This record gives sequence, C-alpha cells and structure tokens, in this order.
Amino acid sequence: MSRFSKASLSGALVLAFATLAGGTALADGKYSGVGRPATRAEIHAWDIDVRPDFKGLRPGSGSVDQGQEVWEAKCASCHGSFGESNEVHTPLIGGTTKDDIKTGHVLSLVKGDAPQRSAIMKVATVSTLFDYINRAMPLTAPKSLSNDEVYGLVAYLLNLAEIVPADFVLNEKNIAEAQARMPNRNGMSTDHGMWPGAPASKGGIGNGGKPDVKNTACMSNCKTEVKVASLLPVYAETAHGNLAEQNRAVGPVRGKDTSGKAVTVAAAPAPLSENAAAAKLANDSGCMACHGVANKIVGPGYNEVVAKYKGQADAEAKLVAKVKAGGQGVWGAIPMPPQGHLKDGDIRSLVKWILSGAKAQ
Amino acid sequence: MADPMKIRASAKDGITEVKVLMSHEMETGQRKDSSGNLVPAHFITELSAEHNGKQVLAAQFGTAVSKNPYLAFKFKGGAKGDKLAVSWVDNKGDKRTDEVAIN
Repeated sequence: MSRFSKASLSGALVLAFATLAGGTALADGKYSGVGRPATRAEIHAWDIDVRPDFKGLRPGSGSVDQGQEVWEAKCASCHGSFGESNEVHTPLIGGTTKDDIKTGHVLSLVKGDAPQRSAIMKVATVSTLFDYINRAMPLTAPKSLSNDEVYGLVAYLLNLAEIVPADFVLNEKNIAEAQARMPNRNGMSTDHGMWPGAPASKGGIGNGGKPDVKNTACMSNCKTEVKVASLLPVYAETAHGNLAEQNRAVGPVRGKDTSGKAVTVAAAPAPLSENAAAAKLANDSGCMACHGVANKIVGPGYNEVVAKYKGQADAEAKLVAKVKAGGQGVWGAIPMPPQGHLKDGDIRSLVKWILSGAKAQ
Repeated sequence: MADPMKIRASAKDGITEVKVLMSHEMETGQRKDSSGNLVPAHFITELSAEHNGKQVLAAQFGTAVSKNPYLAFKFKGGAKGDKLAVSWVDNKGDKRTDEVAIN
C-alpha cells in the first residue's frame, strides 16, 4: 500500500473495528467463537506509520538539546556524536550544502563528487526519518523511544545537517517547515513502476505501475525447460569460503553452503535442546546481528570470546555484567550497547552457551 | 568566516573526552578543476584546544587531513561547566574559535 494513499484505508479499518467491538462475535459466521476484534488501543499501538503529509504523526515536541542528550546516550555509540561515523553504518549526516537546502536538490548526488552518500543526502521526506527512528531504533531495542524523544532526535539530526537552528523545538505543527528545507526534498521521482495505484494523469502518483522492463511472454517456438548455461566450477565455489556462514544469522540466509558438507535432512522438529534454545535466544535478542559464532562481524565472534576468557574462573560473571552494562575497548573502539532489557536469567544462559562453544545443537 | 565547528566535551572520572567536527574545505593544492587549473591550497595549519584558557592540545595540520576533519581526544582534568575552546588557523590566515561548556 502506498504511503501516500493509505489515508482512507486505515481510517476505514479503525471504523470497522470500532463497530465490531460493540458486537459479541464476528458477523461472518465462518469463524464464530474464534478470536476477538482488535481494541482501539491495540490498533493505536500498531498503527504507527507517519506519512509525508504527516498523517499519522502523533503530537509531541522535542528540542535539539533534548535530542542531543538522547543521541549521546543511545545513538552516538554506533552513529558517532555528529552522525558522521562510518564504522558501523554509513554516515547519516554530511555532503549537503546551504544551496541544496535552497534548491531541494543535493548537487553532489548529481556531480557524484561526494566520497559517500549519507542518509541526509538521500532522504526526501522528514517523515521518513521520524517513522524509521520511531519504528526501528535503537537497533537493539526498537520502539523503546518515547514520542517526544523521537521528535528530539529528528530535531538534533536536522540541526546537524544545518536544516534547523540550534534552538529549534520540533513539534507536529512546525515539522512541515523542516520538510520545506530538506536538502533532497525535490530529489524523489515517482514516475516509474515502483509506485502502485493510479498514474499521475488520473490523480495518483507514479505511472500506474508500468514496469521499466518488459518481460514479454514467449508465444511461439519457446523453450520447454530452463537450462542452466553455466555454473561456478566446484573448485572455485570456496574461493571466498563458505558463503552460508558469512551471512548474518538473522532473517533468511541467502548464501549457498559451499562447505561441501551441505546436508538436507528434513527431520521432524524435535524439542529444542539446551544449546538450540540458547541459539534461538541469541537470534531473537539480536546478538547475532553483531556477533558471529565463528567469525567477527561488528563485535567479536564467539570463538574469539571463548579463546580470550579460557581458563578464567570468573569469566561467566564478568561477561554477564558486561553484556548487561555494555562495554568498549576490549575488542576495539566500537562499543557494545547495554542490554539491560534482557532478563538476567537469559543473559546468564546466553553467556553459558557462548563459553561452552556456542553450539547450534 | 568559516562555518562553526561542532564540539562535544564530556567529563567522566576526571577525564574529559572531546569530539570536534570542523567545517573546512581542506584543499590540498594538488587538485585541478574542470578547466584544468590548479585549485589553490586551502587547509588548516594549526589547531589548539584550551581548557579554561590553558592549552591542552596543540596540533599542526597539513594537506593529508580530510575535508571537514573530525578530531577526538581526551585530557586529564576538566569538570562539568568548565569552558573548552577550540580554535584553528588556516594557510590563508582565516581563523575560527568555538567554545562549549563541558558536560
């Protein structure tokens, strides 16, 4: 659903659920007795998107200074104090000029002279910044920021990019002013098939979903089966190691298992062993986004951790405290954010699992 | 007059950590523009940081430093509310000084 044209839909949804809440069961007899209509509060908690016209934006306010405090506490460890860091993620701020703010086009994107594209060079709508921070940040604890904190953070970022002055207090009313100064506000094109809905001539945006490429169906003299014309030779498959292992273990794994030991076993799901449960916990808690079992990603691999703390009796207690409070310096300059939102018991079983070799089974 | 620097200074356990983001072209004098003429050199030559008027860091910069330089350093001492000033001079004689309170 386009973020531009969802207005009427979500309104209708809320209305439909509100009327259902009065009745006893769903009117459609097919699923009677199953489930219940979502409550107003549940829909409110779920429906958090903010659109470019600021529909869905909840009232609130945050100043640049308030944003800076939150930034230093929760964001600067990965993004740098000024959003300039290139260590964990690409820079957020930089590459825009005062002229860009006037024209609404980032010149260095056209000239290609910026060494790297920063987020503020590319983003066209301030609502995107707000929505993304609100929805997904901080990476280790998404949706933990209050509404006013998000306002503050957006104000701080806009101030870093010199879009708003240092004494700016962003709220739901003046966010449109900030939008009118976004450096790349005129840089977004919708005249292509990625935008669904009606074409521009009929009051929508985009070209009506017409794709850029034409996959013409073969109607005569067609091949009957797909033939793979060439494959990487087996000896070259491992040129870059085992590809499957190099994927972060979150989400679907896309790399091919090139270890030569790939097994395809469709065993019945057995109850999780202690190791498997801990591995799942590590996945669900986001540990695997930064740590690999046998390789360094952003933080050290678990094998390195085991090697470092081998033979130390108090390693477990030490590591539990470190995971809880976060740390920096042992493995380099990139800090590990504090994981206080995890239960103590969970942290202890994670640390035990890591020290025992982080086995999957 | 150049754009202001962005400075953060925070004191913790008797050590103050300072981060500075300067806004400067840092032209090396080696680059040519689209018509083949050399772009004249324009870079910061000296930088100084002062804590309550006492110098804690002096640095000589050259053309090897990137555009819009980022500098982070720590020094012993400093308390919340103290003044920290950073100033630079470039090869064209331009100067810039910015001051923040340590927090």
